[in-house]
Amino acid sequence: MTRSASPKLGAYAGLAALGLLAALALRLPELVLFAAPFALVAGVAALQVRAPRIDVEVDLAHERTLEGDLLDISIRFDPSDAAERVDVLLELPPGLEVEEGTNPATLRLSKGDERVLQLGLRCVRWGAYRVGRVHLRAHDPFGVFKHETVIDRRQALKVYPTQEAVRSLLRPAETQVFSGNHVARQKAEGIEFADIRQFVAGDRIKHVNWRATARRGELWVNEHHAERNADVVIFLDVFAEARRAGRSTLDPALRAAASLAARYLRQRDRVGFVSFGGTINWLLPATGARQLYRIVDAMLDTQIILSHAWRDLVVIPRRTLPPQALVLALTPLLDDRAVTALLDLRARGFDLVVIEISPIAFVSRPRGEVQEVADRLWRLRRDAVRGRFERAGVPVTVWSDESSLAAALEEVGASRRRARTSRV
Amino acid sequence: MTSIGCAGLLLTALALAGRWATLLPWGFVGVGAGYALFLSLRGGTVDARAPILAATFFVAAELSFWSIEGRSWRSERAVLVRRVALLFSAGLATAIVGGVLLLVASGRRGGIGYEAAGVAGAVLTLALITWLGRTEDR
Repeated sequence: MTRSASPKLGAYAGLAALGLLAALALRLPELVLFAAPFALVAGVAALQVRAPRIDVEVDLAHERTLEGDLLDISIRFDPSDAAERVDVLLELPPGLEVEEGTNPATLRLSKGDERVLQLGLRCVRWGAYRVGRVHLRAHDPFGVFKHETVIDRRQALKVYPTQEAVRSLLRPAETQVFSGNHVARQKAEGIEFADIRQFVAGDRIKHVNWRATARRGELWVNEHHAERNADVVIFLDVFAEARRAGRSTLDPALRAAASLAARYLRQRDRVGFVSFGGTINWLLPATGARQLYRIVDAMLDTQIILSHAWRDLVVIPRRTLPPQALVLALTPLLDDRAVTALLDLRARGFDLVVIEISPIAFVSRPRGEVQEVADRLWRLRRDAVRGRFERAGVPVTVWSDESSLAAALEEVGASRRRARTSRV
Repeated sequence: MTSIGCAGLLLTALALAGRWATLLPWGFVGVGAGYALFLSLRGGTVDARAPILAATFFVAAELSFWSIEGRSWRSERAVLVRRVALLFSAGLATAIVGGVLLLVASGRRGGIGYEAAGVAGAVLTLALITWLGRTEDR
């Protein structure tokens, strides 16, 4: 513990000295009475000064929680010495706020008497945190000396983003070879009816279409579409973000990414993850609940790191982007490098959908003529970027505060259905 | 005399408003100086109100330092109660012990030896307090 004297010590010593000297010089015993308590307090505090020994433990109720949830945390004090007043501060990262209890708090600790300070933390923002750094400041009874220390009992806490409601998912244009929930174009064993054809040796009797057989006088069998899985890659643009009042375009992007990953994995698709920006993170596509945890854990490490280095798709391992995968890009369309990389993906034949996380809500209203012109130019430039995607055959849907992710996906789904119809 | 006391009070008020701990003692010095001047001009017997005034002065000083501690959160009730109790006990003790001492001191006068010993004791005590206060152990 680090000991330091408060300004009171110097003040009281000075007052005592002046009072005593004035009492002697002026021969006024009354002034001794004025000086005596100050001298006594300073003297007793100086003689009794010692650092209290306090053991601290921090317990988190959960190691993993959801954004918006309340997390109980208890700070346990086991003092070997008594401390008249102890200021306790649990250091909290910006994404966590105290909702129940007091932080900082001032406690009195008696020797050998275990105390527990309970706090309820509201997990305001997703992220990977380390919680448990406790600052202690012990005061003597008159607050003349203080002892300070920092006790590090940090534990990992993962706050997962909440999920957005998604009613229907985008159907990938192409399916893969494993069984899943998507109706494939290929004919094979399945449920969805595809066509009828003449019976050949080896066909199973249960596939015989008796109506067609009766009408044509020879055996005809039903053909079905196979149910296959698909590869979905969630592409997160982390080159830049729009941020205002603690909110950022990255927050809805991550919520959407987590929701989409969970939904696609639930229907047995292989889901991969790429965060593309100042730092690049990737996960190879895989299936199952474990992959969901891997993706969400990878997302928690995602942050916007400013970089001026040019990056393109070459830096992403080839296996991360399997052929015929549906690539769902979540981007605020703020950085040309991300736009170029996405257009490059489309040029390589990937089935790409851009979900634009609108940064408009994060932008201050323009004031004055110059700002208004700049704002209009910026919006026109964004329209031009969307136009580039549309010319490349990439549907772009804008997801803002005013609409839900489900509505944005529905919009893309409808446009993809129309596009497919017109192609036929 | 009154102006010195008022200046002291003004300084104290200024220090409290601005939360300047270094300015606060100067305000007390001003108030104390005003009282000392009053006593020296007054002459005659000892001031019977001195123990009460000394206790009030000490409690006021404690409360002033407490108010500028810069603590924006509430202490738990037990801590608050103990602190207030300690403060007013100290004030009461000052008044009672001061009254007794004043009673004893008013009846006799010390020689030059007593005075020299008093000065030396005060200086030594203050030097010890300052030294202890400045040392830091980690």
